Amino acid sequence: MASVTISGVEKWFGTLQILHGIDIDIEDQEFVVLVGPSGCGKSTLLRMIAGLESISDGEISIGTRMINDVPARDRDIAMVFQNYALYPHMSVFDNIGFSLKLRKRSKQEISEKINEAAEILDLTPYLERSPRQLSGGQRQRVAMGRALVRDAQVFLFDEPLSNLDAKLRVVMRTEIKALHQRLKTTSVYVTHDQIEAMTMADRIVVMNKGRVEQTGTPMDLYDFPANLFVADFIGSPSMNFIEGIVAADNEGPFVMAKDRTRLAISRESSAALGQKVVYGARPEHLVLASGNEGFDATIEVIEPTGPNIQIFADVAGQRICALSTERRTHKPGQRIRLHCPETSVHLFDASSGARI
Amino acid sequence: MTPKLKKSLLYWLLLSPLCVVILLPFGIMFVTALRPRDELFVYPPTWTFSEFRWENFAEMWVKTNFGGALLNSLYVSLTSTIIAIVLSIPAAYALSRYRFSGKGLYRNFLLMTQMMSPIVLVLGLFRLMVHLNLVNSLNSLVVTYVAFNMAFTIWMLQSYFNTIPRELEEASWIDGATSFTSLVKIFLPLAVPAMVVTAIFTFINSWNEFVLALTLIRSQNDYTLPVQIFSQVAGRYQVEWHHVMAATVLATVPVAIVFSWLQRYLIRGMALGAVK
Ligand SMILES: Nc1ncnc2c1ncn2[C@@H]1O[C@H](COP(=O)(O)OP(=O)(O)OP(=O)(O)O)[C@@H](O)[C@H]1O
Ligand SMILES: [Mg+2]
Repeated sequence: MASVTISGVEKWFGTLQILHGIDIDIEDQEFVVLVGPSGCGKSTLLRMIAGLESISDGEISIGTRMINDVPARDRDIAMVFQNYALYPHMSVFDNIGFSLKLRKRSKQEISEKINEAAEILDLTPYLERSPRQLSGGQRQRVAMGRALVRDAQVFLFDEPLSNLDAKLRVVMRTEIKALHQRLKTTSVYVTHDQIEAMTMADRIVVMNKGRVEQTGTPMDLYDFPANLFVADFIGSPSMNFIEGIVAADNEGPFVMAKDRTRLAISRESSAALGQKVVYGARPEHLVLASGNEGFDATIEVIEPTGPNIQIFADVAGQRICALSTERRTHKPGQRIRLHCPETSVHLFDASSGARI
Repeated sequence: MTPKLKKSLLYWLLLSPLCVVILLPFGIMFVTALRPRDELFVYPPTWTFSEFRWENFAEMWVKTNFGGALLNSLYVSLTSTIIAIVLSIPAAYALSRYRFSGKGLYRNFLLMTQMMSPIVLVLGLFRLMVHLNLVNSLNSLVVTYVAFNMAFTIWMLQSYFNTIPRELEEASWIDGATSFTSLVKIFLPLAVPAMVVTAIFTFINSWNEFVLALTLIRSQNDYTLPVQIFSQVAGRYQVEWHHVMAATVLATVPVAIVFSWLQRYLIRGMALGAVK
């Protein structure tokens, strides 16, 4: 097991720059998730760590060893691919044992290790089958098994769950996390699914257009998103944004939306009067208010999800989403008042997008 | 009649003119090959005959030196197929896996060579072979067949190689394999179906080739089957049609049977490619 240090890494495909100077320090035993929208360069970065893609500039080290010029086979890493990449002409047993065979381990040691991995992953009854005869979830587990027997320094995962159906994805998510808690191997996990990132990560790296937007623990990113992009990306349903101008009256500072709706903000906020800002409130922080707290909203659509009811409402000409746990029956067209406690409000500068 | 049956009947009806065109020559070939000599030219022609003369085959074998020509054909076709495949694999692999400048140009060049008929090149090839001192040697055929078939084999192999996920090789590198090990243990086993299919086509092309064989081979001992059979017809006062047809049957049928059996690889190949 080892730490991974990525410093100033750039990637060019011809004249096209894909990664613009990435710096990430991954500690020993850490589970780091790279998350970001499609095409932001997550896979490319992971493949550079794996040695499948050359490093145009910058350095990547595993432990204390700089690995820029070390071929993939000598990097002592294991990788799980999105499409599993199981060898179709080999049995599950041989798939898992391929790396051990290449390392010329004894027959007995190989089969011991394979059986141990199969035990952990519930694959024992399937060892003689070929990958073709397995379900998606089982294939996924074989891919995990192939990584497991390696005792590698670092595990790399490239969207390993995206080919599974929604239910299985949740199950495997937990299994991978449990496995990491048990083995403690340093892991880098790529996904574009922010829920996967939130639930699995010790630390999340949010990427966008080849740059790191923010790095932090899941709760850090959720509570203190550094900019509009992260605020929008983390959380589901995503944060509501209303543009406005900072103003104040004798009740305190507030953001005035286009139609003069008053959106209260904290007195401690460092936003300057007259500054153009984006007011952000998470759906789960918007509560139904009574009296003159909060602001007016007109219900447009109601979507019950079970634990919650999603209320989509019009505020200042924009559609926002609020989560309510109340079973009270609301109707589209109804006028309600919504309130977000000042401490839960996020403010961002309208031009730079940075958190205020 | 179920609608499905009706439909297939209709389709067969529509296809029947084509079937006749394709099958009639074969029918005549079989019928002629099995007749006694004096029934060959009865008028009006009939499909029936008084006896199955299997002896035609035995007589033909001796009279036309069929065995020798068969060996020549086998030598030329097998060698050229093997060489073409072995040389095409690296080319197709590079085309499928690497980026290099001139790749598109190279692919177009391969395609263009397929648009030219060998007849156009026969004279030039003959002079080339004279120069190389290869005229009248079966190896001249091997060399030209390899050259003519490689464009096709490279295309075929490359398009199949493209369907083998790159991740399989990448996974093996990460597992600790060198490029060579990965090629031998992962890539080539998966490419076997493509190689078999391509080999079948190449073999049949070489087996049936006539123009070049006629031009480049001078001595009767080195004739391949098509030329040998042709020599039984061309420039003779009396053509032994029943022998010619018996020879034709022997030259086509075994090959057709073997290859329809090998067809399974086609299907297996498709199934393999589908596994992720
Ligand atoms: N070999 C290549 N040549 C040129 N451009 C490439 C190459 N590989 C990737 N790219 C480009 O690099 C960018 C990042 O690709 P990458 O696969 O890393 O995205 P990603 O973040 O993994 O996206 P996804 O979530 O869709 O997998 C994309 O715009 C892609 O078009
Ligand atoms: Mg990707």
